[in-house]
Amino acid sequence: MRLSHGFVRGETLSCIYHGWSYGQAGNCLRIPAHPGLTPPETIRVATHDVEETDSVIWVAVGTPASKPPRFDGLTPLRSLTAFAGIAAIEAAAGAKASPEGFVEFDASTGAVCLLLSAWEDGQTLIHVLLKADAGPAAGIRASRAAESLRRRAEGLQREIAQ
Amino acid sequence: MTMQAMINEWYPVGLFSQLDSAGRTTALMGEPIEVARDADGNAKVTGGDGRVLPVRVRYGHVWSSLGEPKKELFPIPEADQPGRRFVDVGVVRVRCSPLRAVENFLDIAHFPFVHTDILGAEPHTEVQNYKVEIREEEDEVWATQVKFYQPQAAKSASGGITTEYMYRVPAPTCSVLYKTCPPRPSEWDVITLFVQPLAEDICDVWPWMALFDDETAMTDLIHFQQTIFLQDRSILENQIPRLLPLDPGMEIPTRADLTSIAYRRWLKRHNYTYGAQLVAQ
Repeated sequence: MRLSHGFVRGETLSCIYHGWSYGQAGNCLRIPAHPGLTPPETIRVATHDVEETDSVIWVAVGTPASKPPRFDGLTPLRSLTAFAGIAAIEAAAGAKASPEGFVEFDASTGAVCLLLSAWEDGQTLIHVLLKADAGPAAGIRASRAAESLRRRAEGLQREIAQ
Repeated sequence: MTMQAMINEWYPVGLFSQLDSAGRTTALMGEPIEVARDADGNAKVTGGDGRVLPVRVRYGHVWSSLGEPKKELFPIPEADQPGRRFVDVGVVRVRCSPLRAVENFLDIAHFPFVHTDILGAEPHTEVQNYKVEIREEEDEVWATQVKFYQPQAAKSASGGITTEYMYRVPAPTCSVLYKTCPPRPSEWDVITLFVQPLAEDICDVWPWMALFDDETAMTDLIHFQQTIFLQDRSILENQIPRLLPLDPGMEIPTRADLTSIAYRRWLKRHNYTYGAQLVAQ
């Protein structure tokens, strides 16, 4: 069970399955089934550096040399998972990712930016960001456009697989 | 993966009450099978190559095997006890190893977090010491004197009680739970988990109950149990690795996991490895 399914309380992250909670250093603080037990130091999880900039959460692999990029004027809208690789998503959007990892995707509503992050098993996380103050209606249109982009990308991925 | 040891075991393949002559197509350990009623109304199970498979009808379900069972289907004496209500809960399909479905059933420490405010609630999270043994004569795993505080232990429970549990594992993919019976403290309610291994990483779970409860509507009894199993499904489908590890690896068990440890040891001793992995990953 991944800790990402878990819950945050105060400064601790707890597992959804048995409630084991972990501190920021990755050490286990509490095993609810045995409240009187001090968890041994050996029970710990890997930790990663995290930064939040412009409402986007960044996780570092290893020790990064620089801060995450800033995206002035962009507003995060939503994230979704696609069963497709980055190449298939680029093809479906008709654009290549910029050096910062951005795919500019012109939905009917105006420019939408996609931040792509390769995940396990050939899946990709798509973070959708809107250009400036687009308003709720534009947000809904962009959200639907992203879902239809995902369908096209997953279709392309299936064609590649065959 | 080896099927040799588990192929000769009995597995549930459907509810007898829902079977008609048209039958249903399902699967057992990767092989497509047909379960139907014959002209005389008896259950009939046919393998993928047309061979007739062994059949039993017991505890509301049709049971079969791809091999030649060396033992009769395990007994549940309470199934013949007058005054009990027998509840065919139905089926929950879960994308997980059949062995993981059983192991999760044996675990009580997850109640406050997965079955919040029903089978458990914070701050009542402590799992007190209990007893676990492998009973050699019956060749079954048993856990006894398991106690846990439950806000809503059963549909018939009003308010929180400390529930006592006993668990039995009489077959590699089946478990029988004996649980404090709120309306009749001298008896145990029986809740079973019968798991049909469709393949190593997907199963149909058929819960069945034999309860002392003359009050609750059948629909409500079924809904209660289905609610619990759907909560378990969201956990089971996200467990890593998919197969149940039988060798010590990355996991750190605690005292609360003694039943699971005994279950894994018993599986390994019998070479019951369909749905298991031996080498830790």
